Amino acid sequence: MRRLFNHYRQFSGLPPEEIARELRERRDERRAGEVVFGPELDLARTAWHEPPHPEAVNAATFALRRRMNAYPDPGAREVRELAAERHGVSPSQVAVGHGAAELLQEACAALLHDEGELLVAWPGWGPLPELAQRVGGRPVAVPGERSGDEASGRGSGGIGPLAERAGAQTRAIALSSPNDPTGAPVAREDVRALCERVGERVWVLLDEALADFLERGEHAAGLVAELPNLLVFRTFAKAHAMAGFRIGYVLGPAEMAERLTPSFSVNAPAQAAAAWSLELGDAVIARRRAAAGRERDRLAAALHDTSLSFPPTCAPFVWLSSDAHSGREIAEHLGLRRIKVAAGERWGDERHVRVTLRDSAATDRLVAALRELG
Amino acid sequence: MARNDPTDTGGLFIGRRPGTARVHYAAEPEMGTPGRRRIDRLVAMFVLLVEILVCLSVWGPQPVAWLWVGSQIDYLTGSVSAGIAIAFAGMIASLMLTLVLAVRLDAIWKVVRRAAGYDQREGALSRIFMVTAIVAAIAFGFWFLILEGPAPSLAPR
Repeated sequence: MRRLFNHYRQFSGLPPEEIARELRERRDERRAGEVVFGPELDLARTAWHEPPHPEAVNAATFALRRRMNAYPDPGAREVRELAAERHGVSPSQVAVGHGAAELLQEACAALLHDEGELLVAWPGWGPLPELAQRVGGRPVAVPGERSGDEASGRGSGGIGPLAERAGAQTRAIALSSPNDPTGAPVAREDVRALCERVGERVWVLLDEALADFLERGEHAAGLVAELPNLLVFRTFAKAHAMAGFRIGYVLGPAEMAERLTPSFSVNAPAQAAAAWSLELGDAVIARRRAAAGRERDRLAAALHDTSLSFPPTCAPFVWLSSDAHSGREIAEHLGLRRIKVAAGERWGDERHVRVTLRDSAATDRLVAALRELG
Repeated sequence: MARNDPTDTGGLFIGRRPGTARVHYAAEPEMGTPGRRRIDRLVAMFVLLVEILVCLSVWGPQPVAWLWVGSQIDYLTGSVSAGIAIAFAGMIASLMLTLVLAVRLDAIWKVVRRAAGYDQREGALSRIFMVTAIVAAIAFGFWFLILEGPAPSLAPR
């Protein structure tokens, strides 16, 4: 009798609750087998990852609401005065433009006519050779030599080879401090030595876009008052987190500053935000500098027992390499984990990758992925 | 592929109407032999017949039986109201019990039909109930108007 009932019982449909449970189990099983895509973590860009300080945004908004129908200050007088005061130069020695990159290009256009030679400390800021070429210059990459100082993170970044390579065709020498991508700063005295060694006929273009991450007194902007062939470029895109405003300034001799000033000035909101940052933004910059340092130390500590390492750096990124893996392998490994970094191949270097530091959550994810690599 | 399980669509039915999904079994059923399925078909027909009779009883025999019980109460107690009340309550109670029985018979019918090899998703109770009601109404009308004749007030002069 039981067999008879069992035969019919197997044709009883499942109640809805049972069906739902079965479907949920099946769904969970399917989802467990699916590849889960986490959000992409972009560690390839060097612009600060957070928005600007709210007061900088307020200043920009106020300027926009008040003066939307008027042209901005053509001379960007307030920004120039504040920048001049900060670096101990005259306001006439400051030109405010649409970002350091634009000003660098203007400088190249002014200096490199007739295929003038631009020596670029290499590895250096990636787009610079192309910018020089675009305005008719001839960029020449000069690999730096690794000195003992550089190994400690306070190196020259190859001042010697640059000075030696400078010839009759050389019109300018470009270098960045801290260096992008290695993060090594150029010592103030090395800048002075280079300027003096190459003489007044060669301009030294010092890109200090990341100099806000240096401790006060380490940057070389103040040398502009003493050296007639030095141009120092500053931006608000990095530590000031204002890349979207497209504003920067250059410090140099007054006649050159006037030449580099854009024909039509930087817009009013950008000027207002930049003025606020120069006047009141030091505390914010100090916090960001400390945050970058904290994440750098955490990363170094987490990688100490792996094959991965990076030289000491002042910048908010590290120039990472491995004894066991090439730069491309590191980049691909991180890419599979949705972490985007700048492969060293961009600078012709197969061993390194440039990894930007963000917040602690990003460092945790980066460390987890790098430790898998070993 | 369209996802139309309510667990995937937040409870919404997308792409098909409720009740049209295939029957979910705890495990894939093992079908009987052809002979057994033939017997199952006959059993299913028998169960359906019983179900029809049970449903038909709601519209005739049960009310009549309760009216008889009500008349006996009236005779024994001398209270017409008590007789009507008992008859009415009895009709309702037996209707409920009959429905319970019919639902169970319908479930048995579905299972036996599936065992007989039919893709039987829905029961037949609602249709049987409706058809038996119509049949009973017609039969009552025929009996009332043709066989017994209308009441004197309605009869032609």
